[in-house]
Amino acid sequence: MRRKPAWGRIAGKTVIYAVLIVISFVYLEPVFRIISKTFMSALDVIDPAVQWLPRTFSTDNLKVASRVLNLETSLVNSLWFSSLLAACQTLVSALTGYALSRFEFRFKRFWFMMILMVFIVPLPVLMVPRLMMFITFQDLTKIKMIGTALPQVAMALLGQGVYSTVLILIFYNFFNMIPGVLDEAAMIDGAGPLQVFYHVVVRLSRVTVLVVFLFSFVWNWNETYVTGTLVAGTIQLLPGKLALFDQQFESLVSSSGSAFRINEAYKMAATFISILPLIGLYLLVQRQFIQGIENTGITGE
Amino acid sequence: MKKRHSFSLRKRQNRVGYLFMTPWIAGFLLFTLFPFAATIALSFMEVSSTIRGYEIRPVGLDNYVTAFFRNTEFVPALGEFLMMIVPYTFMVVVVSFIVAYLLNHITRGRALFRTIYFLPVIIMSGPVMWQLLDSQTVIHGMALPDDFDSLFLLSILRSYSPAFANLLSGVFRQLSTILWFTGVPVVLFINGLQKINPSMYEAARIDSANEWQMLWKITMPQIRPVALISTIFTIAQLSTYNISSVYNLIRTATANTSQGLGFAATYAWIYSLLVLLLMGLAFLIFRQPRAKEVSLP
Repeated sequence: MRRKPAWGRIAGKTVIYAVLIVISFVYLEPVFRIISKTFMSALDVIDPAVQWLPRTFSTDNLKVASRVLNLETSLVNSLWFSSLLAACQTLVSALTGYALSRFEFRFKRFWFMMILMVFIVPLPVLMVPRLMMFITFQDLTKIKMIGTALPQVAMALLGQGVYSTVLILIFYNFFNMIPGVLDEAAMIDGAGPLQVFYHVVVRLSRVTVLVVFLFSFVWNWNETYVTGTLVAGTIQLLPGKLALFDQQFESLVSSSGSAFRINEAYKMAATFISILPLIGLYLLVQRQFIQGIENTGITGE
Repeated sequence: MKKRHSFSLRKRQNRVGYLFMTPWIAGFLLFTLFPFAATIALSFMEVSSTIRGYEIRPVGLDNYVTAFFRNTEFVPALGEFLMMIVPYTFMVVVVSFIVAYLLNHITRGRALFRTIYFLPVIIMSGPVMWQLLDSQTVIHGMALPDDFDSLFLLSILRSYSPAFANLLSGVFRQLSTILWFTGVPVVLFINGLQKINPSMYEAARIDSANEWQMLWKITMPQIRPVALISTIFTIAQLSTYNISSVYNLIRTATANTSQGLGFAATYAWIYSLLVLLLMGLAFLIFRQPRAKEVSLP
């Protein structure tokens, strides 16, 4: 084999790095834009000479945006809402992943196929009957469903939350890596299946549980279609408020009678606020997130 | 003796397996399979909500006739959706493959790049995308299309086919937005690339193949299943973001209960059928070619 000359290799690497850096900038451009606009003063926004760096650093946009978003309420709501759904989803995904990983039950291949199929069914095709089911249930039992978290809790508890398939696959592949001998040893000591599941398997997969929970948290946080239909704005959630930002800004301004006009800076400040918790989370556990997707094992097997 | 043992073990496995599967299966039947069938049925019905609950009566193909012929928004919106999703998906899959391929060739700084490319997966949501796209059109408005029109290549293209040139400049303009959908596919591709047996490359190198040949003869065929998964994932993701106008049409139809949910079901079903057809198409494109039969002596 003829070795490439050293300078050729170095040039090749340089080109690769250059391309990757350029692509990184294209990826991050929206984030930079959000951050830079957030801290611009009103003068900087209209000044065409100011491109990226604000001339005067101001937090006015943040103040206005957080008032329009009703930040305190919607942040707390988003936190508990996403956590609750994530906890339900994590529990069911673990159970399902464990069943697939450890037991040879009848029609297992069929159910596995169905789990994968659920992923590709477009959500709009399910929402109308789901909505009708919940409204009918609400009318029959007089338990308030629409406008509460209950419908989504029910769906998450029965394994039909956001991207459930991915979460199940993460668990399935991780459980496959835990030796079955451990289960058997516990069973010989007289543990039932649920005890084995909880005391042996779940305890060994604490990190995976955390990763699945965080994924589910982030996806439930960002999910607005199902939430928008079933909660319909009754619980104020951060992304939902962001979607209505323009309208609510206008109505707030017209009621206060001041001469504020909506501009890009306010919109970007609101966007900044609503992604900030997620960015913080990501910076803390980014490696686990990426490994989580790798552990789905949908590549290859 | 041995037979009896294996039989009882199988029975136990079956029972406990279903015990753990029960929640998912129940949810699947109740919240996925039933609604799926119901939507198809409802698309032939008129649903009106009354105080006593829903009144459903069959109307035959009426909803479809309205959707396609009487309503002036739906068909153009579907067309717009197709013009968006096909080039977007193509771009997402190609770009994520290139990024993964390049990342696989470096060692230093790989984790950092991966972190950057995965970030959009975490922060991307419908409203965020909408705000970004909206603010982009607000500032640039008129200015941007001309930017790309001044490109020599694009102006040549425009003289041949204005539609194609528009498509292309649209893709350029929303490059960042498109790239944000590559987060998961990049990770999948990297993972897939690392699973390719290195001895294949060794063998090819001994036969004096160069990088370019190896890319086409080894990497591409080996990565095909991952490309399929990435394509399907991308279609699934793109079709549930409200950057498409059909999506908003369905949303308002679902929210507007007075107009009749049967109609919303029709919209949703046509749209979903289209998405599923696209996925089927992706499946056909990336299908593993049947191995040539080798007759052994």
